[in-house]
Amino acid sequence: MKKHLIAMLPLMAAGVMGVAQAATEADVDNSFNPYKAGMPSFPGLTAGTVINKANADQFKDVLGAGVYKLIKDGLFEMKVGATTQFAINKNYTDATKANLNKTKLGAKPGDMITGYVAGRPFPEEPDAKDARAGEKLAWNYKYGVNWGDGAVISPFYWKYRNMQTGQVEKTIKWDFHFLNFMHRTKDAPIPEFTPNPSGIFRAIYTKAHEPSDLKNTQLLIQRFEDDAKLDDAYLYLGFQRRVRRLAQGQVTDAFLGSDLMIEDFEGYNGRVSDMKWTYKGTKNVLLPMWNHDELKLATDMPAEADGYKYVDMGGQGKCFSEGTWQLRKVYVLEAAPVNTNHPVSKRVFYMDVQLQNLNGANEIYDRKGELWKVFMVGKSHPDHHLPVNKGAGIGIDDAFSMVDLQSKHCTTGQFKGQVDPKKNPPGLFQVQNLRGGD
Amino acid sequence: METNLNTGRRLSLLAVALTASFATQAWGNELPSMGEESSPWQVDLTYENHTVRREHTGLAKFRNTMQAELDKKVGDGWGIHSILRGSWDGVYRMNSSEYGKDAGGSITTQSTTPAGLVTSPWGAGPVTHTLVSGLGYPGAAGNAFVDSYGANNPNSGLRVLGDRWHATDGGVGFAVPVRPCDIDSRGCRDFGGYGNKKLSELEMPEFNSRLDFIRELYAKKTFNLGDGKDLFVKIGKQQVVWGRTDLFRVLDVINPVDFSRNNIYDELSDIRIPMWIAQAEYRMGASDWMQDRNFQIVWNFDKFRPNNLGQCGTPNVILDAGCFFRGMANLWDNGGTVANFANVGPGTLLATNFGPGQIGLKDVNLPDWSLSNTQLGAKYEGVTMDGLSFSLNALTYRSQLPSLHGGKRATNSFTGQYQNAWPYLISFDMEFPRVNLVGGSMDFQIPAAGAAVRMEAAYTQGEEFSNTSREQLYSKNDVFRAVIGVDRPTFIPFISETSATLISAQLFYQHIFNHEWKQEQYGPVGMPDWENNFIGTLLIKGFLRNGTVSPQLILAHDFRAKATAIAPQVEWNYTNDLKITIGANYKLADGRDHWNFDDCRACNPFAPFTAPNGDANAMTSYSRGFGGMEPLGRFRAGPIGAAFKENDIFLRLNYKF
Repeated sequence: MKKHLIAMLPLMAAGVMGVAQAATEADVDNSFNPYKAGMPSFPGLTAGTVINKANADQFKDVLGAGVYKLIKDGLFEMKVGATTQFAINKNYTDATKANLNKTKLGAKPGDMITGYVAGRPFPEEPDAKDARAGEKLAWNYKYGVNWGDGAVISPFYWKYRNMQTGQVEKTIKWDFHFLNFMHRTKDAPIPEFTPNPSGIFRAIYTKAHEPSDLKNTQLLIQRFEDDAKLDDAYLYLGFQRRVRRLAQGQVTDAFLGSDLMIEDFEGYNGRVSDMKWTYKGTKNVLLPMWNHDELKLATDMPAEADGYKYVDMGGQGKCFSEGTWQLRKVYVLEAAPVNTNHPVSKRVFYMDVQLQNLNGANEIYDRKGELWKVFMVGKSHPDHHLPVNKGAGIGIDDAFSMVDLQSKHCTTGQFKGQVDPKKNPPGLFQVQNLRGGD
Repeated sequence: METNLNTGRRLSLLAVALTASFATQAWGNELPSMGEESSPWQVDLTYENHTVRREHTGLAKFRNTMQAELDKKVGDGWGIHSILRGSWDGVYRMNSSEYGKDAGGSITTQSTTPAGLVTSPWGAGPVTHTLVSGLGYPGAAGNAFVDSYGANNPNSGLRVLGDRWHATDGGVGFAVPVRPCDIDSRGCRDFGGYGNKKLSELEMPEFNSRLDFIRELYAKKTFNLGDGKDLFVKIGKQQVVWGRTDLFRVLDVINPVDFSRNNIYDELSDIRIPMWIAQAEYRMGASDWMQDRNFQIVWNFDKFRPNNLGQCGTPNVILDAGCFFRGMANLWDNGGTVANFANVGPGTLLATNFGPGQIGLKDVNLPDWSLSNTQLGAKYEGVTMDGLSFSLNALTYRSQLPSLHGGKRATNSFTGQYQNAWPYLISFDMEFPRVNLVGGSMDFQIPAAGAAVRMEAAYTQGEEFSNTSREQLYSKNDVFRAVIGVDRPTFIPFISETSATLISAQLFYQHIFNHEWKQEQYGPVGMPDWENNFIGTLLIKGFLRNGTVSPQLILAHDFRAKATAIAPQVEWNYTNDLKITIGANYKLADGRDHWNFDDCRACNPFAPFTAPNGDANAMTSYSRGFGGMEPLGRFRAGPIGAAFKENDIFLRLNYKF
């Protein structure tokens, strides 16, 4: 009997740790290709359907709550496209298989995972009975493919818009660079840059070119492998020609007066441990995902030398991208800030199962629990975007809308994303790079 | 007397948050330089009108600035950047009675008598050549005082030194010519880019022999050395900014500063004087113990330039120093009446008509260009594996502030005897000593407080300070300066519920080593600068209407000067290309007697004639401590106190074409 109990210990421990069963290669396949058995469908919904105020109720079950409200309020009409595969690059899926079941959760929510090497750490289907299923999805997001090992959005236009009048109050022209320092699977060096004594996992570097008062403003955010460590953030102010270290409180501030916080970047730009994550179920939901080259593109944006054109904006105040939405299998995930002083009471994500990104149709609730903002980032298939992105195996962020329902204001973003490792040397992500400009 | 301003006392009302002064537009695809192809010139053009109305004087600025920012990639990774700037300030024509060709007028002087203060016309003594001749001492007839001043030194176009911020009130006072130097050349000297400017040069200051309209012009390139290491080089006319603190220039001393543009109230990036500099930075990246390592060498090979303290007669004369210099230069060149000077009896100090070549400021010894006069700096900057960002700095440079070396050559006013040196005599030359600086800076977070902390400190050797206890009226003193700053974004619901309001506080400290101060017969003598002083600043900046409207309040308090500046302003970004800023600048000073200091009237350089009445040691030169506001009170008042009557309101409009 004693021997039997000893043999059971690992399983009991696994139960305590929230790991019901070991993941299998079949789980990995299902995770990266949830449409093996066919594309999802919904009665009355086909490619070409337009969902608007009049028929929103018919499709309420496949709309995120925030998006439903936007449509029901008549703020925009959703054009539906066919569901398509967004296959993630093979290096990442291979890494997931190679390191299957190596990742273990920490002893309690918020603790650092152990054993993670590369790929998707928890590829198995989340289990509603697993109290830490949401946390596992959060780790999948942190170590998700996102922008791959590195990419740049250049240029990246943000527009501050009055949703009621359509007035564009401010236009910012940016470059956004992303680089994974660790757990790299595709671009050299693999698996990581060394030396890296601080254990930087990923960094985001941005530089503003317009308007005049923000010219040369640069932001550097360094996220660490150790989730217990706070991000380091530095801001170079062009008008001061000096680098300022940012206090952490500034990540929940309206970034440069926009409708986004730094914490909103990419859907969620914070530590896993900053939130209490809850898996709320799996369903099919419409997300903004498309083939860029099949859209009717903007004609009112600056011309690019290579002929690239941006996703057009439309709807009330031109606050919404004119891309198409497709029915996707999603995990509904809720994140409630651990810090009770946080300006947000909770975030609701519709996590695309295939990509496991968090930015398709997010709802952000204010401290009173009322819907405050809806954040929608549209993705293009990489093979239908710039030539440099072909075969990248990631969803290319292509346009975003952050709609503040309370202030009737929005910030929109139009991307020119380039998955090009040459444009992301690691030196770009050092503080000193900020000081070395003009 | 020496005039080394406290470099730490510069308060710039720059905004320290996420929006602020109007720079210019960027170029298209500014990805990192990695050897890409050349690009055409990108040119951005902006216009600024800055209008200031000053209490009591009226219009104090109507400056119109056009600025072009040019960028070009020239291939092989090299990039060229330039800023061209030209401005025209209409204040000299629109308020010519205050700042232009009609400024100043005839003045009076003052004598102290037992019956009180007596006013008399400037140039009329009562201590004159004739009066002194009548004293009958041996050689009295050869005295060098004058009975009156001729056509080369008329009582017109003058103001009394310091009358912008205090009354003579029994202290030293003398005339200061205030008109542009093509209208009135008296006291005009090149103090280092100012002091001898004609009207057109004051109106359009960038168009000068140093080609200041080329504000910046440099080439830069990053050489990839492999293994994650780079060499970054930047050569040309540029600003090099060291340090981590706002407002105070503790380490940020590579470029001199032009205070004539808007005193201490413009962005430092707009008022640093770019110099021809070569800098190279070896970027070593991470090591096993450091996340980032960089070593920088900065060679300022430009011909020396000091800070521009503002020409007397213009709206922005920091510490009123430019007026002191011009008045002293005029005293040397042409002589002049000095108020309340001759202590001829108990409680009696009579205005005295000095002739030329007796007291004043003669030579301005600006360092010529030579290899040994160039300036060299080195900095190691890094981030530890625990996230502490820091720098270690060293710089050898020429003081950007002038030092007045006294006790120089002069003609004895009482005997006519010329001598190469007169200890304690207020006969000066202006020097710019070499200064060596070592220091460092760092910043880090305090997560529990939600704040970022910045620190900066420097120790210098070679700075010179006024010191009336020394024969040459100055001393060299080592100085320690430090600043600690805390930034905390804070949600203040009544300002904004979605945008944090930035609260930024800083405390500056300065200590002068071997500080000399002692009580003498009539008052303190030694160094007017405070041995220890603190200046605190507080910025509160909010962001409204999606950051397009930004109210802010800046407070600065000089603890020893007991002077405070309050500067509220509101910026409104009406469109991407048009910004309007309105604001004010108000100063308060709590009592002002504590600014008085030894003025060397009782230094007795021409013993025994200049000894105080009844002095027991009349053959010895040293200061007995007669004092007043002029000329050394300015160092105790600091830039805020010395400008406490310059309360401004302003409107600034920026437009990008």
